[in-house]
Amino acid sequence: MIDALFEGLFLVLQWKALAFMLLGIGLGFWVGLLPGLGGATTLALMLPFIYTMQPVEAFAFLLGMHAVVATTGDITSVLFGVPGEGTSAATILDGHAMAKKGEAGRALGAALASSLVGAIVGAFALALAIPVVRPLVLSFGSPELFMLAIVGIAFIASLSAQGVRGMLRGFLAGGLGLFLATVGQDPQAGVARYTLGTLYLWQGLELIPVLVGIFAIPEIIDLVVRGTSIAGTRPSGRISKGAFEGVKDTFRHFGLTIRCSLIGTFIGIMPGMGGAVAQWMAYGHATQSARNAEERKGFGAGDVRGVLGPGAANNSKEGGSLIPTIAFGVPGSTAMAILLGAFFLLGMVPGPDMLSKHLPVTFSMVWTIVLANVITVLACFMFLNRLASLTTVRGQLLIPVILMLVFIGSYTSNNHYGDIVVTLLFGGVGYLMVLGGWPRAPFVLGLVLGKIAENYLYISVARYEAAWLTRPVVLVLIALAIAVILYPLFQSRRRAAHA
Amino acid sequence: MHSKASLSLAVLIMLASGYGIVTAWSWPWKAALFPLVIGIPVFCLAAAEALWTLFGANTPAGQASDFQLSRHLPEKEMMRRTALAIGWMLGFFAAIVLLGFPIALPLFVFLYLKLQGRESWTLSIVFTLVAWGIFYGLFDRLLHLPFPAGWLVAWLGLA
Repeated sequence: MIDALFEGLFLVLQWKALAFMLLGIGLGFWVGLLPGLGGATTLALMLPFIYTMQPVEAFAFLLGMHAVVATTGDITSVLFGVPGEGTSAATILDGHAMAKKGEAGRALGAALASSLVGAIVGAFALALAIPVVRPLVLSFGSPELFMLAIVGIAFIASLSAQGVRGMLRGFLAGGLGLFLATVGQDPQAGVARYTLGTLYLWQGLELIPVLVGIFAIPEIIDLVVRGTSIAGTRPSGRISKGAFEGVKDTFRHFGLTIRCSLIGTFIGIMPGMGGAVAQWMAYGHATQSARNAEERKGFGAGDVRGVLGPGAANNSKEGGSLIPTIAFGVPGSTAMAILLGAFFLLGMVPGPDMLSKHLPVTFSMVWTIVLANVITVLACFMFLNRLASLTTVRGQLLIPVILMLVFIGSYTSNNHYGDIVVTLLFGGVGYLMVLGGWPRAPFVLGLVLGKIAENYLYISVARYEAAWLTRPVVLVLIALAIAVILYPLFQSRRRAAHA
Repeated sequence: MHSKASLSLAVLIMLASGYGIVTAWSWPWKAALFPLVIGIPVFCLAAAEALWTLFGANTPAGQASDFQLSRHLPEKEMMRRTALAIGWMLGFFAAIVLLGFPIALPLFVFLYLKLQGRESWTLSIVFTLVAWGIFYGLFDRLLHLPFPAGWLVAWLGLA
């Protein structure tokens, strides 16, 4: 095993593999920065170029590219409040709030350092967990996976706002997300649901236009209203000097970073969950780390822990989602499904062979994830302060550029004007939510999980009828969901009694 | 403002989920199961939020862990600037549909800088050229993304 580990490293460090990895990193860097252009789409676009490559070179190229997309996606989220990737939307809540407080450098430093820690944790999990995780994945059927989705929404809904009223709004936002996920052709009966007679809605609401609208539009309106730069009138010196402080924050809250990395890895392992879910689960956990109501209020207003959690989970989920892909041929996400295609293009079959005959190739993937993230983070730190200074650029210069990226980013989802209409409509919904003090995180998690949850619920009911509710793991997860809902209420009642 | 926005959202959600429930009733159970399982509680929660907003005015609303809009200006001025921002966005969208991205984009950037930003002619022209260069070089030439001609341009036969 140790021999294979080092053999994997040497394979990646061969000049050709290293050159392809650097090429992939370069591509992934820019794809991550541009809103709307997804890592999965780019993976698919690059697939035809690997025909002539050796397996190690091909995986170094593809994984090198994919591993850094989430890292650089955080940069756009922090600086402009526009999600660079669907998987980096959660970073906006506190990362962009920090940028507006003049702490863009610190937020970027924290996002990058936690991404690196997350990537390393995910890679180690990939190296160590394959024999352990097999029984866990195989023991989770549709009922358990459905309940896992419900626990996730309960988790974020109860933690993203305070008090009974806040929780009501959290659940309402989560429910709305789940409900809107039903738009489009139903996968079981083929009924066109809530398509309003348009062909565009047959495939459902695309995630990127919704995310870009709900997060970017309220920020743009606010920037126009303020009439200043993103960082307001703060002196530029402070803004660009906090990158190292962000790195220190990662180690100051190292336990949280590691826990969120493990959450990301776990979500990555679960088939169909993906990075968009992992970041919100991690954000929910980060808010839970607040020791009192006063500290909880800081989340959404620029608490660095709200950057560390999603940053770590985003990158650790890559290692996690590779586990079922490599070991069982079951892709954990869309990107992994495309990567599975690469296996077949290269004449390799995922499964036991990858853990015996091709073990050095498997370890070369682990090393690629680690090296790609180390290289990207080091490269970013070289000009991080200059990036942070962008928050001092006058609003009237930034707004047309941000709007250009927002409209192009959403349009490229389907190359349809409907994408921009969706962005504008959900921009309106996002603005009302912010204005009314509703949390947006549960809505997004509901929308992301909706299709998966529906599928698992349908299979559970069709296969087990009502008996699925009595399965032991389901009962544990129901108890966990109830505990997650009741705990904040119990906590606030206890605080009121003490006061 | 807080409560008006909250009430509007709650009513919108009630209408959407109500329509969803009524429509789903006629579908086969396979298609209706999830919309009903989710839609009914969402309708009830939205109704509770609407009633709470209307009749529970003295109850403080919980603070969301989310970003807060700036409130340093008088409400009238905030409304004016918000309307202006929405107007620019809708105008940009209309220009994209009518003229297509390649024309609408530089036009929007230039007009925004000149009219809203009150920037100098030199800066506005140079900035517009750079923005158009990025759009053309990156999205059109390098990534080959399809940007169709606008409806008006096509109708005039200029595409």
